[in-house]
Amino acid sequence: MSAPDTDKAFYLPDFCTSRAALGIVVIVELTALILTLARDAPAMGFWTDLSRTSLFLLWIGLAGAGLLCWTRERLKRLPVGLGSATVLTLIALLILVVSTCAYLLGRSSLVNDAGMAVLFPPQASPFLLRNLVIGLVVTALALRYFYVTHEWRRNIEMQATARVHALQARIRPHFLFNSMNTIASLTRTQPALAEQAVQDLADLFRANLSDKRNTLTLAEECEVARIYQRIEQLRLGPRLHIEWRIDSLPRTALVPGLLLQPLLENAIYHGIEPQPEGGTVTVTGELAAGLITIVVRNPVGERQNEREGNRLALANIRERLTLMYGEQALVKAGRFDSEYIVTLRFPFIESSSGAAA
Amino acid sequence: MNHRILIVDDEMPARERLRSLLSEIEGADVVGEAANGEEALRQAAERAPDVVLLDVRMPGMDGLEAARHMNVLEEPPAVIFTTAYDEYAVNAFEAQAVGYLLKPIRKEKLAAALAQASRLTRPQIQKLSAASPPRRTHIAAKHRDGLRLIPIEEVRYFLAEQKYTTVRHLKGEDLIEDSLRALEEELGSAFVRVHRNALVSVRYLERIERNADGQYYVRLQGCADPLQVSRRMAGELRERFRI
Repeated sequence: MSAPDTDKAFYLPDFCTSRAALGIVVIVELTALILTLARDAPAMGFWTDLSRTSLFLLWIGLAGAGLLCWTRERLKRLPVGLGSATVLTLIALLILVVSTCAYLLGRSSLVNDAGMAVLFPPQASPFLLRNLVIGLVVTALALRYFYVTHEWRRNIEMQATARVHALQARIRPHFLFNSMNTIASLTRTQPALAEQAVQDLADLFRANLSDKRNTLTLAEECEVARIYQRIEQLRLGPRLHIEWRIDSLPRTALVPGLLLQPLLENAIYHGIEPQPEGGTVTVTGELAAGLITIVVRNPVGERQNEREGNRLALANIRERLTLMYGEQALVKAGRFDSEYIVTLRFPFIESSSGAAA
Repeated sequence: MNHRILIVDDEMPARERLRSLLSEIEGADVVGEAANGEEALRQAAERAPDVVLLDVRMPGMDGLEAARHMNVLEEPPAVIFTTAYDEYAVNAFEAQAVGYLLKPIRKEKLAAALAQASRLTRPQIQKLSAASPPRRTHIAAKHRDGLRLIPIEEVRYFLAEQKYTTVRHLKGEDLIEDSLRALEEELGSAFVRVHRNALVSVRYLERIERNADGQYYVRLQGCADPLQVSRRMAGELRERFRI
C-alpha cells in the first residue's frame, strides 16, 4: 500500500471502485444523449441511434476506467500537468483502438444493415478523427472537474486542520502556569503527588499536540478529560467537583480528539473558578436511537457574560463534529437560569480498531 | 526589622508554596493566610501586616480590588501582586512600577521583592484598577476596628461634604475619601447624579417631590430624609425613571 499522503494529493478518483464506474456510466450516457440529439438526421431513429452511441461510448468509458485503475499507482507519482497529459494520451489511444474495431466491425460483411453505411462511410479517417476530438474534449472537461472538486475538498480539509491546530495551541496559559505553580508547591510537600501531576501534564500535552490521529475512541477522550480533571483537582481542591454520568456510553464510539477536555476547561474556568465556594460540573452521556448525546453543565454567577474563549472552543468543536458527521452532528450551548449547558449530539460510529485502539 | 506578611491566594497549593518559600527567607514572618479578597481585607485590618502577597485572579473580590480597599486602612500595607498569567495586569503593574511576581515564584525574586516592598500610592491604585475589568463590588470605609466593606448594591446614595464623602447604605452611614466625580465615573448607569453634591442609586429611587419654595426633592426607599434635586435633574429623572 502506498502512503496515504500521495493518495490524497492525487486528484483523480479511484476508478477501481464501483462508485467511480457508476459515475463513468452516467457521464457516458449524458455524452451519448448530447451526441444523438445534436445529430441532424437520425440514421435509424432516435432510440436506436442512442443505444448504438451508448454502446460505443460505454466501451470507451469502461475500458478507460479500467486503464486508469490499472495505471493509477504510476500516474499518481507524476506531477499534475504531466499526469493529465498522460491520461489524455492513454484515452486518445483507447479511442483510436475502440473506434478502429467498431469501424472494421461496422464495415464488415458480418453486419449487413442499411443504416451502417451512413454511420461508417468508406473513408475511415473522418470517423476516427471526429471520435478522437469529441473524446479528448469530454475527457479534458472531466479531468478539470475532478481537479477542481479535489482542490476544493482539500482546501476545506486544510482549513479544518488549521483550526484544530489553533485550538490545540489555545491551551490556556493561565492553566499551564497555575499547574506549574501547583507542581512546584507539591514538590516540597508531596513529591509523589508532584510526580503524578507532571506525568498527567505530559499526557495532556501529548494528547493536545498529537496530530497524527485526529479521531479517537470515546474511552480515550474521556481518559484525557479525567487527566485534566486530576490536575485541576490538585489546584482547586474541594472547590471542584465533577460528576460523571457516562456509563451508558459506548466506549468504542469514534469521536474527534479534544471534544470533552475543552468543554471541561471552559466549565471550570467560567463556572467553578469564579465562585469562592466552587461548584459541581456534571457530564451526562446517553446513547439512544444510534445517537450519542453528551451534556456538560456548570453553574454560572449572576454577573458573568459569555467570554470570547468559550465561543471559540464551541465553534471549533461544532466545526469538527460537522466535518466528521455532517448534518447529523449538533452542538447547542446556552445559559438556563443559573446553569450553562452545552449539548453535543452525534451518530454512534464504532471505531474499527475497537477498544484496543 | 522583620516583615509581617499576609498571604492571599485562592489556591491552597499556591499558599503552601509561598509559606514554605518564606520560611527560608530571613526576616519574613507569615502572620496570616486568606483565600479571597474579603477575607484578605479582614485579616489585613486585624493583623496589620506590612506586606501583603496578593493573588490577582481570585473568585469574588479579586486582588486589584482588594489592594484598592487596603489603601483605605490607617497604615496601608505594601502590596506585592502575584499572578500566573495575566497580560493586562502585568502591563498595568509595569506601567505603575508596582511590585509583582510571576508564578511559579522564585525564592530570590520573592526575597528581592520583599526588600523593596513599598506602599502603593493613590494614583497607582487608581491606574491599576483600570486594568481590572469589572468595577468594584464593594466600597471600603475606615472604621474603628478596621475596614467596613459595603456592597455596592446596598448603597442608597453618596453625599459630598467638605472633605469627605458620606455613603448612606442599608446598615447606616460611613465616611470615605473617594470624590463624587470618581465614583460617578466608576459606577456608571447604576447611579445618577441628582445634584452637585449627591449621587443616588437608581434602584432605590422612589419619587420626586416639590416643596412650597419650589425646591425639588427625591425620596429614596428606606431613607427618611429626602435629598435635594437640581431643577434640571428633576425633569430628567421624571422622564427617565417615570417617578
